[in-house]
Amino acid sequence: METKRLESTKKLKPRGMQSTIMLAFSVISVSIMLILGIVMYMKFSALSQHEIVQNTKKLMEQTGENLEDYLVSMRQVSDAVYYNVIKENDFSGQNNNIQQGMNLIYEANRNALRSIAIYNNYGSLMAAEPIALQKEDINVTRQDWYGQAMEEMENMHFSTPHIQNLFDDATRRYYWVISLSRVVELTENGNPLYGVLLVDMDYSSISRMMKQINASNNEQYYYLCDSNGQIIYHMRQMQISNGISDESSKAAARYRDGVYDETFEGEHRKLIVRNISYTGWKLVGVIPDSAFTHGMLNIKYFIVMLILLMAMMLAVIHRVVSERISSPILKLNDSVMEYEAGEKPEIYIGGSQEIRHLGHSIQRSYEQIDILMQKIVLEQNERRKSELDALQSQINPHFLYNALDSITWMVEGERNDDAVFMISELAKLFRISLSKGRTVISVQDELQHAKSYMNIQKIRYKNCFSIVFDVDAEVYSYCCVKLVLQPILENAINYGVDSMDDCGEIIVAGRKKDGNIILSVTDNGIGIPEDEIGFLLTDSDRVHKHGSGVGLVNVNNRIQILFGKEYGLAVESELDEGTTVSICIPAVPYTEENRKVLEKGHIYGREE
Amino acid sequence: MDDSRKRFIFIEAVLAIMVLVLAVVMLKEQRGEAKRKVSVIVQDSDNSQWSAFRYGLKMAAEDQGIEVFVVSTGDGMTVDEEIDAVKYEINHGADAIIVQPVSGTDMEGKLKKLEKKVPVMLVGNTASHDRDSSKLPTTEPDNYAMGQAVAEELLADYNGNLKGKAIGIVTADGGSESAVSRRKGFQEVLEGSGADIAWSLHGFFGDSEQGSLKNQPRADIVVALDDASLTAAGEYSAAKDLHGALLYGIGNSTEAVYYLDTGIVECLVVPDEFSAGYQSLTEVAKSLQGYFHKMQDTMLSYTVLRKEELFTEKNQEILFTMSQ
Repeated sequence: METKRLESTKKLKPRGMQSTIMLAFSVISVSIMLILGIVMYMKFSALSQHEIVQNTKKLMEQTGENLEDYLVSMRQVSDAVYYNVIKENDFSGQNNNIQQGMNLIYEANRNALRSIAIYNNYGSLMAAEPIALQKEDINVTRQDWYGQAMEEMENMHFSTPHIQNLFDDATRRYYWVISLSRVVELTENGNPLYGVLLVDMDYSSISRMMKQINASNNEQYYYLCDSNGQIIYHMRQMQISNGISDESSKAAARYRDGVYDETFEGEHRKLIVRNISYTGWKLVGVIPDSAFTHGMLNIKYFIVMLILLMAMMLAVIHRVVSERISSPILKLNDSVMEYEAGEKPEIYIGGSQEIRHLGHSIQRSYEQIDILMQKIVLEQNERRKSELDALQSQINPHFLYNALDSITWMVEGERNDDAVFMISELAKLFRISLSKGRTVISVQDELQHAKSYMNIQKIRYKNCFSIVFDVDAEVYSYCCVKLVLQPILENAINYGVDSMDDCGEIIVAGRKKDGNIILSVTDNGIGIPEDEIGFLLTDSDRVHKHGSGVGLVNVNNRIQILFGKEYGLAVESELDEGTTVSICIPAVPYTEENRKVLEKGHIYGREE
Repeated sequence: MDDSRKRFIFIEAVLAIMVLVLAVVMLKEQRGEAKRKVSVIVQDSDNSQWSAFRYGLKMAAEDQGIEVFVVSTGDGMTVDEEIDAVKYEINHGADAIIVQPVSGTDMEGKLKKLEKKVPVMLVGNTASHDRDSSKLPTTEPDNYAMGQAVAEELLADYNGNLKGKAIGIVTADGGSESAVSRRKGFQEVLEGSGADIAWSLHGFFGDSEQGSLKNQPRADIVVALDDASLTAAGEYSAAKDLHGALLYGIGNSTEAVYYLDTGIVECLVVPDEFSAGYQSLTEVAKSLQGYFHKMQDTMLSYTVLRKEELFTEKNQEILFTMSQ
């Protein structure tokens, strides 16, 4: 659980500057590219749709004109037969002329014509070209084209495509034709009578035209229907007839020329309608939405390709730019982090003006911090030194007072030799005490100082105690804090052996043990109560009763200031048995160099 | 390599792969997918009886975006010839085969083996004699119903009484499942009508056999149960070689319609060959487009034509498909 929480915290940690810049750039770029892509696609799509519609309209215009030309030519055929052949001849005696005239016209248009026939008002065949045998039992008056002509006698009528059912074809084939019929005025035996002129157009001419424009592979298509929506040509005519497919021809037949939107069988599509003159037929172009989409597929791919390539390129640019922006900051950050880790690298100064300024500022700050730190260390050392000096200076007046008091006492008692001895010991003592202002002296000098001191004290106390120095010679050459034994000895005299009559004994011992120097002062005095021992080294206020005021606390502090907290005094005491005060200091060989190092306040043996 | 660099390389690689995929798709789109090719093998493929069927194939091919190829064949193909033709087409890149199986030994087994290579659709009749045990998908008219329809029309013309009427039955391939079904349907309806099936003739009507139909005993009614036999019988009748027998039958060519139109044939039952072509190819196309599509049997309808109704709007469309 905890691990998971830590992991999630890790995930949430702030991103690197380069990642952030790159992410921001990428998000902006991708958004812009997507918007551009969509806008471009929509624009292209609209343009493409417009172009497809315009092209379709043009194509339909062309096809419509072709169809009209074809129909006009059929009308002209009808007119030619009517005005040049029928009106000019009598059917009773000029059959040859009529046949020749019809033949001429038929031959001139045979590619588009199936047949030309003239029927009288009873439906009897008057003439036909090409000459063919009429089917038995045929009654043309029941056929649509005949009925339409008779119904509206003043007009020409175009039928919908149908199977020609007039002649007996020896090839046993049936022809799909469009009939153009009109009522004509015939002359037979000089008598005018009505008849119907039929021009059967070959459906293949129209279907060929329509097939040509339907040849394209895209999904748009064109069909032809009459004014009632009856399909004249449709590329899927049989499928529609069989119910496999469907067409909105009924609706399209109601439209005027123009472009219309419709939804047919769930698909949205555009209908372009063009009216064919003379017939009421409609040429309809159908463009389903899928045709637009099909046309746009390549543009869609192109735009996506463009976006991808731009994304690739922008990713590279973003990387370079973000690297250029972030690199100086990262380098600056790295040098600051190294600084924080304790190293002392050069603060990176480079990159843009702002980053350079920042680098300079940080460098200046660190330089100032260094100076301040050194100042603080110096001040600290000074403080320690002055504290040491103050502590030492606490000893000298006190002791001097005691020594002078003893000398005074000897002179008064006319013990001149003793006074001389004491003054000479005092001189030695002061020589060592002064030690050219040094605070660190050799153990040997410290022992000499202790001896001088004890010699003075012995005279003062009238040899009421004995002093033994049991010090290994090897410890002489190590460093020691000046005047540390003297206060202990003073305490040993004052609290240990002062009250004993001639049987007091003080032993000063010196050993080297485990890399440390142990100097001990043992007395056989009255001892110190156990509850007092705890305060000896901590509470300086409690030990002023009999001494100079400079007690073990003083000594302990001085040792710890110079050597560290792990060194100092240890007190062991048993009531009525005596007390041992041990000084523990590191075994630092007494050399000039070590002395200076210690006196500068650097704790011996520690890394700087 | 730090994470940021790895991520950058990964993004660039993904984008590059997408560009490559898109380029491949674009190239494929530009080239356009090659059309699947379907070969069609029917007997006497140039005969006008296949006009409507071919038109149906053509329309379906346009709708489904398939290239269809009708193999040029003569009549009277044997099983081996037809199987060889199918193998040839498969070896020459046909993605599917539509075949009108000829009757013969183990036709179905041989086609079934070939079906493992490419989809095979049967048209006209099944390869096995028993329709119900057919193992290959078949698009065929309801042969049994057409046989019944001919008989019903015949009965209708005679008010249900054919007592004493001698009937001759003509089929081109008497062993085919379609001929058997048609004949069965025809005979079942006529049971109890008093009609006498005087003779049955199976086979071709080429020059060497011309005499065969002519030399049959006199029949009052001749029933031709397929287009080839109907047109042959029509020809005999037109030449007054059918001894005045009335002709009924099943046909789907303009010749058959012509004989109806000219009164040689009394009644014509026309199978929907346009749909046979259209639906067989559509079914094959579905099978080619969808790997898991299982081709289905399709039963097609028929139309009964009489001379007087020949030129109605609906019947004109049948003629239209036959005239393509």
